[in-house]
Amino acid sequence: MENLIANFNYVIVVILMMIGLWSMLAQKNLIKKCIGMAIFQTGIILFFISIGAKDNALIPILTETANHVYPVPDVAKVANPLTQILMLTAIVVGVATLGVGLALAQKIYQQHSSFDEDEILENQRK
Amino acid sequence: MPELPIWQFDVLLLVLVVLFAVVALSIRNLMGAAIVFGAYSFMMCLIWAGMGAVDVAFTEAAVGAGVSTVFIVSTIYNTSATMRSRPGGMAFKLFIGVVVTLAGLFLLSALPDFPKWGAPDSPVNATVAPYYILNTIPDSHVPNVVTSVLADYRGFDTLLETTVVFIACIAIYSIMRVDKAKLETDEPAIVAAPRYDPGDSLIVRQASRFMVPFMQLFALYVIAHGHYSPGGGFQGGVILGASLILLAISFDLKFLLRQWSEKSLMLLVATGVFLYAAVGLACMFMGGGGNYLDYGFLDSILPGGRDMARSHGILLVEIGVGITVMFSMIAIHINLASNGRFDRGL
Repeated sequence: MENLIANFNYVIVVILMMIGLWSMLAQKNLIKKCIGMAIFQTGIILFFISIGAKDNALIPILTETANHVYPVPDVAKVANPLTQILMLTAIVVGVATLGVGLALAQKIYQQHSSFDEDEILENQRK
Repeated sequence: MPELPIWQFDVLLLVLVVLFAVVALSIRNLMGAAIVFGAYSFMMCLIWAGMGAVDVAFTEAAVGAGVSTVFIVSTIYNTSATMRSRPGGMAFKLFIGVVVTLAGLFLLSALPDFPKWGAPDSPVNATVAPYYILNTIPDSHVPNVVTSVLADYRGFDTLLETTVVFIACIAIYSIMRVDKAKLETDEPAIVAAPRYDPGDSLIVRQASRFMVPFMQLFALYVIAHGHYSPGGGFQGGVILGASLILLAISFDLKFLLRQWSEKSLMLLVATGVFLYAAVGLACMFMGGGGNYLDYGFLDSILPGGRDMARSHGILLVEIGVGITVMFSMIAIHINLASNGRFDRGL
């Protein structure tokens, strides 16, 4: 139990990924699938940020003591910048791919007048 | 217990995030789902800011809560917001639920093997990351470690991420764009008529006319000051794009397209990637020639020594990233909002 509370972030990550994955597989609506994909993605981003966080650490922007004088930072007290930049670019690429998904959904709607997966399949069989 | 002074606040936010995710996916109206998803993104951005990832939180606030909500809303505007409910299918949903729960339990079973949360000596935090933190000032005089890792140490990564945004923009063009002349002869427009006259609200128009210059000024500050504070090309580019998207929504698409023609939009999207790649190439031919994207070799044309040249090189590529992101966001929005017809829309 102690372990569970200390790793609460990771539990939430797994729950968010489960919610997103369930939505992508079980929901019939294409827009809901896109939102599920975005939730799955934020779950993974939360995971990366969580593993890069440090106890009582500062943000990864160093502070100057005098004009243009930066003391050598204490590495244990600066949050991990590497996981952050990986996720920063992932967010922007994520919105671009979400746009592609939405564009496909719009085109499908023009053809079938529906976002519902079952109706689209029925239309195609006709 | 995690030794955070306000860990209760974190737990509250994490629970709220799960709640918003469930609500966004269970709500029947798609417009409502889009708005709740925006709120979800904002909660997420607070969590990340709480864990010290200010740049990521900034990006998420601009991208996740701002622009992606606009994308979803403009898609719904062109289609329909109602979900058809049909009976049955519960067995399938339950089956998927069981499968997903099993997968989740499988992941959770790995939890005890994780290093303690927030440990500074965990494998992620102990290998290459300390090098970046210790060397960013001697190497390039950039106090914001995220910026120097983004544009300098891992410049290849960011170059290709920018290219991905560019390619996604082209993909959306090729999916959505329709030839207007062909459309009028071949097939009737299936697009629903606009539900209201765009640009009919005087208050919205005047308010956004007043806000846009300040947004753009702030965005330029974010790009230029990314070395010293949270921000950079991605965030500034998205805010610049959002300011023009705001104009397109409050007036109409024609208003935006009068200033930025379709051709110039696409050219500018490519210009950003080109600027980034060209800076990389310049490093190979300037000052004796170094590796691709090794900005230190630009010191023959940029002021300052090799370390300052790296700092200025970062600024150059951030500007390239900003241009690409800004105009691809606008182009994606116009495509989605006007259904690829570039005449009218949300």
